[in-house]
Amino acid sequence: MITIEHLKKTFKKNKVEAVKDVSLEVRDGEIFALLGPNGAGKTTTMRMLSTLLTPTSGKITYDGKDITEDMLSVRRRIAFLTNEIRLDGQFTPDELANYYGRLYEMTPEQIEKNKKELFDYFGITEFSKRRYETFSTGMKQKTSLAICLLHDPDTIIFDEPTNGLDILTQRLIEKYVVRLKEEGKCIILSTHILDLVSRLADRVGVIVDGKSVYCGDVSEMARSQNVDTLDEAFVKLYEENHVEQAIVTK
Amino acid sequence: MHGLRLIFQHEIAKIFKDKSMIFGFFVLPILSLMITVGISMVRPTKEEAEAYTLYFYGIDLQEYDIGKLDDTEIIVTSISEDPETFMSSSSFHKYDVLTDFSDLHHVKIYYHEENTISSYLKSTADSMVREIYSELFRGRHPDVSFRTVKPVDLNEKTTDNRLIAMLLPYMLILPLTANISNFAADTIAGEKERGTFYQALLSPVSSLSLILGKIWSVSLISLFSSGIYIGLDVLGSKICTANGWDDVFGFAGIHVTTAEFLLILLYAVLLCYLFSNLGVLISLFCKNANQAQIAQLPVTLGCTMAAMLAMFRFGLSPIQHYLIPVYNICIVFQDVLNDRVDISKMTMVAVSLFVMSIVLMCVTLACYKSEKVTE
Repeated sequence: MITIEHLKKTFKKNKVEAVKDVSLEVRDGEIFALLGPNGAGKTTTMRMLSTLLTPTSGKITYDGKDITEDMLSVRRRIAFLTNEIRLDGQFTPDELANYYGRLYEMTPEQIEKNKKELFDYFGITEFSKRRYETFSTGMKQKTSLAICLLHDPDTIIFDEPTNGLDILTQRLIEKYVVRLKEEGKCIILSTHILDLVSRLADRVGVIVDGKSVYCGDVSEMARSQNVDTLDEAFVKLYEENHVEQAIVTK
Repeated sequence: MHGLRLIFQHEIAKIFKDKSMIFGFFVLPILSLMITVGISMVRPTKEEAEAYTLYFYGIDLQEYDIGKLDDTEIIVTSISEDPETFMSSSSFHKYDVLTDFSDLHHVKIYYHEENTISSYLKSTADSMVREIYSELFRGRHPDVSFRTVKPVDLNEKTTDNRLIAMLLPYMLILPLTANISNFAADTIAGEKERGTFYQALLSPVSSLSLILGKIWSVSLISLFSSGIYIGLDVLGSKICTANGWDDVFGFAGIHVTTAEFLLILLYAVLLCYLFSNLGVLISLFCKNANQAQIAQLPVTLGCTMAAMLAMFRFGLSPIQHYLIPVYNICIVFQDVLNDRVDISKMTMVAVSLFVMSIVLMCVTLACYKSEKVTE
C-alpha cells in the first residue's frame, strides 16, 4: 500500500511550487487513476512516487516505509513508464532486457522466463534481434513497457501510457494493465482519458493546482459531486478548486 | 560494484554500437593515416633537395659552395640559432651536418649515421674543423692534447626523442580532449536529449555507481581512441622510413623503454580520468549533446594551448610549472622522453591530478544528487 501525506514539491531552479498539498492512498491490487488538468502536478507527483524527485516536504510510504530512507529497495519494487522514457536505440530488445534484468539483480533464468512471457504477449519476439531505433512508435512503447515490467514490480506507475498509440496497441496495453491488477499488483495511472478511467480504474484521485481535491471510488465520484457522469464531476471539482492566477504580460 | 560494472560495460557497448562513433574511432584515424602517408609519398624527400648543408655554430663563416655530391651542391654556412633548437626545426635535414664550435676545444659534429650523405658530410666537416684549427692556431705551437672533435650520431635515443618529446603532449592531448568532449557530451546530456537517461535513474543502482560507470567508460574509450591515433602515427613512421619517404610523423627514431612507456601510460590514464570527470560534470548541466560540446570548447582550447606552450619549452622547468594543471602533464611527458625523470616532481603531478579528479568526481556526484539532472 502506498500512502502520500501532505506532499509538497518546490523546484529550486525556477522557484515553482508544482505540488502544494497532495494526500492520497493507493491500495494493493487496485488500479488507481490520477486525474487533473495540464500543469496540475500529476507528473511531479508521479516522479516523486518513482523516486526520481525528492519531496520538499510531506511523506510517501510504501507498506509503511518512508521511500526516502531506502530508495534503492523501493526502485526494485516499482516500475515507471512515461512517454519521455526511451531506451538506447542502438540495442535490440533482447540486449536491453538482459542489461536491465541484470541491473535489477535478476538471475539469467528469471530474465529469460520473464522476457519470453512479455515479448510474446506484446509481439516483440520476432523483432527481438532488431535495433530499438528501427521500431515504430507503438513498437517502441511496447518494448519500453516490456523492459520496465521485466523485474516483476509490485507497483506500476503509468504516465499517459497510451498517448499517441493506435487503437490496437492501446487495447493490448489496457488488457495487460487489467491482467497486472488481477495478479495483485498496484497500478497508478495518470491519464486525461476519462473513458479509460471509468473502464479500468477502481479508485481515483483528482489534483487541481497542486492540491489533491478528491480521493475515492470511481463509482462514488459522480455521486459525491451530485452529478451524473465522471466528466461532469471532474469539471465541477476543477471549477470549485481552481484559483485563477494573475498573468502578467509585458 | 555490481551496478558499476554493468553500467561501465553497457556504456562501452553503446559506443561500439554507434556507427558515428565507430567512424570517429577507427575509420577517421585510418583515413588520416592514409592521407598523411600520401602526403609523405608525394613530398620531395630530403635526398632530392637542392643542396646539402654543413652548418657551423660559434664560428663566423661566409656562405660558400665546396663542390657537388651526386649533382647536388654542398654548402657551408654559419648559424646563430642555438644548435638544439636549430636541429629540431624543419631547416635541418637528415643529410645535413651541424658543427658546434661553442666550446673551441671540444667541438661536436652532429650527423645521422644511418644516412650515407650525412655520414660522408661528417668526414668533410671533420676535415674542415682540422683546417680551422690549424688556421686559428698557426704559429702558436698549440698543445693539441686538450682539443677534441666528437661526432654525435643524432639517431641515438636522446636527440631523436627530443623531437617526439616536443610533439607528444600535443599529439596526445588534442585527440584526447576532442574524444572526451564528444563521449562525455553524449553520456549524460545526449541521454537526456534522447530520453534514455530516466531508465537508468529508475534502476536500483547507486548514484556513485552510475556516475563512476559513465566517467570510467569515457576515460577508457578516450584513452583507447588516442592510443589508436598514436599507434597509427608510429605505423605511419615505419611505413615512411621503410619506403624511403620523408617521415612526416616523426616517430621513426623513437626509443622508449618499458618503464618509460608505463610511466607515459600512467599519466595518460590520470589525464583521461581528469578530463572525463570534467566532461561528465559539464554534461550534467546541459540539456543536449550540442550544448555540452559547446560548453566544453573552452576546456578543449585551454588544454590545446597548454600543450602548445609545452611544445616550445626547452630545458628544465621550475617546480611551480609542475603545479599548473594540464601543462604539468605535458612537461612530465617531455621529462620522461628526455631522461629527466625526477621522482618528487612526477609524484607531485600524479597526486595533484588524482586529487583534482576526485574533487571533480565529488562535485559531479553532489550536483547529480541535487536534482539538477532530473528537474
